[in-house]
Amino acid sequence: MRILGKNMLTLLILSIVFILLPVLLQFNNYYLFLATTITFLAVIVSSWNLIGGFAGQLDLAAGAYIGLGAYTTGTLLIRFNVTPWLGMIAGGLAASTIAFLIGYPTFRFGLREVWYALSSAALVPILRTLFLLWEDVGGPAERYLPYYSWSFYHLRFSTYTVYFYILSAFFILILFINIFIKRLKIGYYLLAIRENEEAAEMLGIDTRRYKLYALILYSYIVGMIGGLYACITGYIHPSHFDFWLSIQVAVLGIVGGLGSVAGPPLITFVLGGVAEYLRSTLGAYIEGLHLIFYGIILMLIILFEPKGVSALIEKIAYRYGRRYRRF
Amino acid sequence: MASVSIRNRTERTSISKTLKSYFLVSNMLNLLIQSVINGLLMGCVYALAAMGLALIYGVMNIINFAHGEFIMLSMYLVFVLNQLFNIDPAFSPLLTIPIFFIFGMIVYYGLINRVITGPPLSQIAVTVGLLILLRNTMLAVFKAEPKGVPFTIFAGTLQLNGYVITMSRLLSAIISIFSLIILHLFLTKTYLGTTLRAVADDMETASLMGVNVKKMYALAFGLGSSLIGLAGSLIMTFQQVNPLTGILYGLLAWCIVAMAGLGGVSGVLLSGLILGVSESIGLTFWDPRAREIILYLIFILILWFKPTGLFARR
Repeated sequence: MRILGKNMLTLLILSIVFILLPVLLQFNNYYLFLATTITFLAVIVSSWNLIGGFAGQLDLAAGAYIGLGAYTTGTLLIRFNVTPWLGMIAGGLAASTIAFLIGYPTFRFGLREVWYALSSAALVPILRTLFLLWEDVGGPAERYLPYYSWSFYHLRFSTYTVYFYILSAFFILILFINIFIKRLKIGYYLLAIRENEEAAEMLGIDTRRYKLYALILYSYIVGMIGGLYACITGYIHPSHFDFWLSIQVAVLGIVGGLGSVAGPPLITFVLGGVAEYLRSTLGAYIEGLHLIFYGIILMLIILFEPKGVSALIEKIAYRYGRRYRRF
Repeated sequence: MASVSIRNRTERTSISKTLKSYFLVSNMLNLLIQSVINGLLMGCVYALAAMGLALIYGVMNIINFAHGEFIMLSMYLVFVLNQLFNIDPAFSPLLTIPIFFIFGMIVYYGLINRVITGPPLSQIAVTVGLLILLRNTMLAVFKAEPKGVPFTIFAGTLQLNGYVITMSRLLSAIISIFSLIILHLFLTKTYLGTTLRAVADDMETASLMGVNVKKMYALAFGLGSSLIGLAGSLIMTFQQVNPLTGILYGLLAWCIVAMAGLGGVSGVLLSGLILGVSESIGLTFWDPRAREIILYLIFILILWFKPTGLFARR
């Protein structure tokens, strides 16, 4: 608790906001759905911060871990009637195993970051094709999870409010993990690896092992969220392996500011809302138009402030702070 | 008599069996040779498509995630030129190469030049932003339907000893090899090419020797983009384009660059051929939908066992 200190108050306020949000939205199903999807994205972006922000490895496999978690949870529920609460844990394990298999060879010391980025990016289409060809589990047709209008055991609810609360709990948890890791020894190790891998290795840090720790934690959380995602959508399909999601997560993490705890989720909530607004207004006229604006906003932010939004916020706070001091 | 006829019959069936298996084997062999031919022809074009990326990555050390989208853009450009001005894809390189050279320069000075000193991850974010922009612009303009050129002068097939060779692929492969040779000569024999290689080897020393590094970067980006312009026209002679083509070609090009390592033109050509052949064999003997799996399994295996690439100079 000493580590948390003043962050405790912020987290408390945040969780109260999350608890009150459905009431503020008057339980409107569309707004709740929107809040759920954006929180879903924010959880993934915040956990991406562990591997991308702290360890400085560009991971583009978020879509693959989501899909793996969804398929593990969904298949366990459909075939063996295992509750998704356990299925999510199994899904996390499956995702971390695959992540380890990819991370172990590519985190070798002296190998450039780009190869990890590419092999993780390649994981998404590989797994999608694999599950498309593997007819026993996947196949080109959707497989539906058993339908219940309200079942705690099957994690099926007829309102988004419950899913929103579960995801919010995950979100607060991942913020806790982020703050803890940033203050613990492993956090400093990871930052050292990001800034200068040679120097970190020379100081006796086992760079490969710590990168793998961060990767396994991240992929485990995303795999679990993937299991929840299968329950929210109600079916499993190879399209759950979504390359667009991977790109979106990495870009939001970078734009939010590497290694910043508050920046990435903040920018996710802002840009997620903007993207949805653009989709509902522009996307209705011309397909893909909202994503064009999304791409332009992204490039402008980076051109304006290459270190991301968190650096921008710090700059503004610094400037205003100085002005206040002057007066 | 009866026993003889039975023996005859059994003999006959056994003969027919051996004949059948012989035909099966020869059939398999024919299929294998046919798919190797197809793979070699495709590999040359793949190598050309990846060469632009290898050049940009080698000289500037920058990670252009929008490479596949550039290829897609050039394919759409060929389609538009064909539809509006009735220009055959075989002749469109005369227009697409200069257009893409200018396009590359614009992208370099507008985007890349501003982040080239920044952290590597923000360079990636900019190119990913470009990827999103290009892909969705094409989606908005051309919709999610595949577009193809109705007729090219490259159409037709060649029968050679029972094997079918598509003329468009053969001519595209020849043009690809020819332009790769020209590029190799440019990089090794001319002053400008040597300067470019010097920047690729050691940017700081080259700038101490009086090389304008920024100009060389711009040249490399323009040259890489114009290679993409050529590759797009060649691919368009035998394939269709849709907004999702970009990701496939992008990862394919990265796979080739990973295999080749930072070496010369010949390494890119050889790894393009290897990938083309293994893709084509996999398509014939396993499953046409398994294309990505084959490509990326090779990619990950190379990273696992030989991370510096098969044909790297250092």
